[in-house]
Amino acid sequence: MAGNFWQSSHYHQWLLDKQDLAREQQHDLKIVTEEEYQKIMIFFANFIQAIGEHLKVRQQVIATATVYLKRFYARNSLKSIDPWLMAPTCIFLASKVEEFGLISNSRLITTCQTVVKNKFSHAYPQEYPFRISNVLECEFYLLEMMDCCLVLYHPYRDLTQYCADLPSTEGDKILPLAWRIANDSLRTDVSLLYPPYLIALACLHIACVIDQKDLKQWFAELSVDTEKILEITRQILSLYELWKNYDEKAEIITILRKMPKPKSCPSPPPNQGTNNQDGAQQSQNQQQTQQQQT
Amino acid sequence: MSKTEDLEFPFCDDANKYEKLAKIGQGTFGEVFKARDRKTKQIVAMKKVLMENEKEGFPITALREIKILQLLKNDNVVNLVEICRTRATPYNRFKSTFYLIFEFCEHDLAGLLSNANVKFSLGEIKKVMQQLINGLYFIHSNKILHRDMKAANILITKSGVLKLADFGLARAFSISSKGAGRYTNRVVTLWYRPPELLLGDRNYGPPIDMWGAGCIMAEMWTRTPIMQGKTEQHQLQLISQLCGSITVEVWPGVEKLEFFGTMELAQGQKRKVKDRLKAYIKDQYALDMLDKLLTLDPSKRIDSDNSLNHDFFWTDPMPCDLSNMLSKHTTSMFEYLAPPRRRGPIAPNPNQRPVQNPDQHFERVF
Repeated sequence: MAGNFWQSSHYHQWLLDKQDLAREQQHDLKIVTEEEYQKIMIFFANFIQAIGEHLKVRQQVIATATVYLKRFYARNSLKSIDPWLMAPTCIFLASKVEEFGLISNSRLITTCQTVVKNKFSHAYPQEYPFRISNVLECEFYLLEMMDCCLVLYHPYRDLTQYCADLPSTEGDKILPLAWRIANDSLRTDVSLLYPPYLIALACLHIACVIDQKDLKQWFAELSVDTEKILEITRQILSLYELWKNYDEKAEIITILRKMPKPKSCPSPPPNQGTNNQDGAQQSQNQQQTQQQQT
Repeated sequence: MSKTEDLEFPFCDDANKYEKLAKIGQGTFGEVFKARDRKTKQIVAMKKVLMENEKEGFPITALREIKILQLLKNDNVVNLVEICRTRATPYNRFKSTFYLIFEFCEHDLAGLLSNANVKFSLGEIKKVMQQLINGLYFIHSNKILHRDMKAANILITKSGVLKLADFGLARAFSISSKGAGRYTNRVVTLWYRPPELLLGDRNYGPPIDMWGAGCIMAEMWTRTPIMQGKTEQHQLQLISQLCGSITVEVWPGVEKLEFFGTMELAQGQKRKVKDRLKAYIKDQYALDMLDKLLTLDPSKRIDSDNSLNHDFFWTDPMPCDLSNMLSKHTTSMFEYLAPPRRRGPIAPNPNQRPVQNPDQHFERVF
């Protein structure tokens, strides 16, 4: 869908500033460190990516789902809703919003089970516990928390346009790398903080440095806030810095153990179907079968 | 999952801030109520989001309507004020209901046309059509198709501002088509459905809304839908009777549409759009524009931009304000609340209106 970013809810309601983010995260940051928090968000972005790839949705859906997840936890503690549930919910909603179609309920849950078992057992040794009724309920909270602001603008389109605008054939050569950097930028907070065209320029900037392309002249002719581009660049580079000495497979389980959690967790998959029963009753059952350490 | 106790909802307001006054309609995905903000006393329309298909979660149609309306802010498009929800309680299994809150419009066009006391002058008809096509121009240039054009979805405020409403079937389209078979052709109320959809086109675009605009334009004079088919086959027959036979000569490429071979298409019919409508419409420019809107071949049908430039809007009498005429009518006129419309002069078909109001309540609004 076309539309104008400057008139969008993305611009009006969902460009936060750093203080906003810090304020909302301060509760969680009493329990985990800032770096651990960042690692948790990276981890669940990876989880969304894995579910999305397994379901063969477009990257656009994955990107939207990842930003939805970030928006939710930008306003809520990790303990309000388990990110293991929020991640597939974001994919489920994003697929509908991005016109990729409805993901079948059973396929979504089966995918989560398979992906957790095959790729994330180091982080979640048990069976994937959530059912579709949990996802559908969670979708409500997600929609409401975002005030139904559904349309997102990603840097990809701007990136393509900027690359088309570059002198000679530089654009074709630089685009794939810049695109990958834009994907990586979803593991930072920049999508919550900056408009997509600035993120696109920062990705292009980094790509130029890596590829040793001199586009100083081209950048100089843009009338944009270079200070902002540098800020974004720094945030993406600090992600690469973090990745250098970080073994997610080995470390994440310790961090997830510390992560603030909902009071109640779902009961183990019951024998009967996935019908939504009386909420209160269900929740009581869940409290009794609570299995996580605190 | 955790109950709501840990969650605060700082965003959507509680639907309870509005007091429901009356049911005024049935949209594609839910009931519509007239309501009043308890605090500000502002009158609004509340559209309930029906959660019929449990497996779908929040309905795609509602998601589309929300994202499209958040995108489209224009005088001639209904204004989405906000989204509200009811609180989750044990009584609704902790599932809240969502409502879309719209600016209230006093009338819809079908309601106005069904009331013989409401008389439109030529200048007023021009104003209605100009606003309608202006709305279409705006949504089409934002790459949105309405896909449910009909008189009941055209709202008019008491001050005479027209608003396209009910985007429950609307969706975004792209021009860079990668081939056919992309969208469902089961859209648009039958009587307003263009021939390409009836023939199974799945790669359609803005012309489908322009056809609907043509049907509505004729209705401004006939006061009743001009082609009231009972089945898709019958609808095609009525279209051929008015617009001439559907052939490869007038519409190159029509033979590639899915149902071209299977639908029965009347042969040897002459095009008589102007002939049959001149009994109602005296203005030559009106007849000409109508003829261009009701063009069989969607690629030749006039688009919204060219319609706005048509002489119809730029010759005397010029489009004139509706507020004067509407000020004589102090009751809301919605199709939903109106008695069935009279028999159609063009397609004399006494059959059903799609939805009837079980309890015919009329309500004063100002």
